[in-house]
Amino acid sequence: MFRAPMAGFLAWLVPGLGHIYVGQRARGWVCLVTITATFWTGVAIGGVQTTVDPHERTLWFLAQLCTGGNAGAAYALHCAADPARSADGGSTIAAHWLSTDVAIHYTGVAGLLNLLVILDALARADRPTTISRIRRRRPRGVT
Amino acid sequence: MNLPLSALLTTPIELTGIPRFVLMLPLCLSIAVVYKATRLSSLRDLWKASLVLWVTIVLGMCAVGVGLWAAFSIMV
Repeated sequence: MFRAPMAGFLAWLVPGLGHIYVGQRARGWVCLVTITATFWTGVAIGGVQTTVDPHERTLWFLAQLCTGGNAGAAYALHCAADPARSADGGSTIAAHWLSTDVAIHYTGVAGLLNLLVILDALARADRPTTISRIRRRRPRGVT
Repeated sequence: MNLPLSALLTTPIELTGIPRFVLMLPLCLSIAVVYKATRLSSLRDLWKASLVLWVTIVLGMCAVGVGLWAAFSIMV
């Protein structure tokens, strides 16, 4: 009864986890590795301060939110990072606009790809599993 | 330069010129892999199908770019 909502929620929380939940392990791992790598590559390119910014880039942030836990972790990092100083002691961490552009596209596309994965997990959760299909096909007593 | 690991996520990378176009390639690859992972019934041919889709996307984008550049050059 709660299979489809649970698969959707898990797919949003961790990309690919919805597929793993409905028994599509290989598919889930491919989505998990690809989407997570794409998202964090974007954050590494643009820096967390300018890439994940709900006030400056609200619509892009909504797309990033589709990656669930990844976006949450990046936003927590955004809040924790000191906006006044860079890691190497510089006075600013503002990225070049080209870096920001590429970084936002990476993270936004990762979110939209996870939206596709969530919808696919929901669709697969509604289908009968392979085991139940085999059971239905075989009459009782036949091994 | 000895930066901590957290600097990887807080310090932006300076991108200019060719590298920003090269970074389009892994992004297109991840789009192709995830799309094919959701569409294929069997994952046995995932890498081959993803590679074909990736090449198609990249060539398509290059063709659109060249077409727009040509149209711009003719009109201006």
